[in-house]
Amino acid sequence: MAEYAYPSHVKVGENRFRERYGLDFEEFQVGQVFKHRPGLTITQQDNIEDAFDTLNQAMIHFDANYASKTEWKKPLVVSTLTLQRLIGLTWKTFFKKTRILGWSALNMTAPVFGGDTLYAETEIKAKQEIEDDSSCGKLTVETRGTNQDGKTVCTMEYDMLVYKRDHVPFEQANY
Amino acid sequence: MGNFYSYRKLEDNVFIEIAGVEFEDFEVGQVFEHRPGRTFTAEENRRHTFRSADLLARNADAVYNQKVYGGEEVINETLVLSTVTAMTTKTFNKVVANLGWTDVKLPTPVKAGDTIYAESELLGTRESKSRPAQAVLHVRTRAVNQHGDEVCSFERKLLIYKRGLGPYEDAGY
Repeated sequence: MAEYAYPSHVKVGENRFRERYGLDFEEFQVGQVFKHRPGLTITQQDNIEDAFDTLNQAMIHFDANYASKTEWKKPLVVSTLTLQRLIGLTWKTFFKKTRILGWSALNMTAPVFGGDTLYAETEIKAKQEIEDDSSCGKLTVETRGTNQDGKTVCTMEYDMLVYKRDHVPFEQANY
Repeated sequence: MGNFYSYRKLEDNVFIEIAGVEFEDFEVGQVFEHRPGRTFTAEENRRHTFRSADLLARNADAVYNQKVYGGEEVINETLVLSTVTAMTTKTFNKVVANLGWTDVKLPTPVKAGDTIYAESELLGTRESKSRPAQAVLHVRTRAVNQHGDEVCSFERKLLIYKRGLGPYEDAGY
């Protein structure tokens, strides 16, 4: 028998349910692990577009002939594109974040190539109140990215601010 | 002047563009000012965010953004970090791969319409023990907006080919 946690909808009327995203700061507990779904496949076209969108000039990302002569044998996905996608994949759980404050560590542990599929999971490492803002609390989390073979390609630890339940201005925005 | 050249001369009056500074020419303490700067727009922020499977209402719903975030178009933190890192690639073009970042700080949020500029300081250089053709650079990069406020800073380690040991000639570079 499956066990369920945290409502996906809020009942706002008779037979009327509004979709709910993200946990409130109070619902996060140290040690929780969230496995984010869906995964996301990165293509070489994504890689080229991201490189040029960010002014990346390193041809390891977009010159396949050059890349074929390297130990990677094919274009390497931009490290920070992997980072972008992994953080993106966490959106449903961390919908109520106000902002990311910074990363204390970000490690690329295996190369990513066009055609690879990324999955993300996040562990809550610490939570704390912040002095100058009662509307939010600070979470320290570790997000790990794995590819389709289960190999870890990236790990990162970072801090974010997340709205608290009583201070969340979501209701007035009809969320 | 230093040994930083744009071209290698192939024959008389024929020049081939060089991509990136050689490992052997980097020295601890050097600071590289990266150009061009880069301006962010609200629309690219939305596109970037959606393509990352990130469907946050902060970006998707302007009414919600107005009520919850005060209507400010804050550029996604991952796009800021990606862009600042990418802006260093003219100088650090001979990269094999990034190993990792530490102390990524985002002291001032970047807003739509802001323009940022980046510079990098060499903190350390060493040869790789496990990869004889390669070396490790330790770099601190910081970026400021058009008002001079620091928007991002980090330290990073990256692998880079040593002189003559990359696949450049083989690949026609």
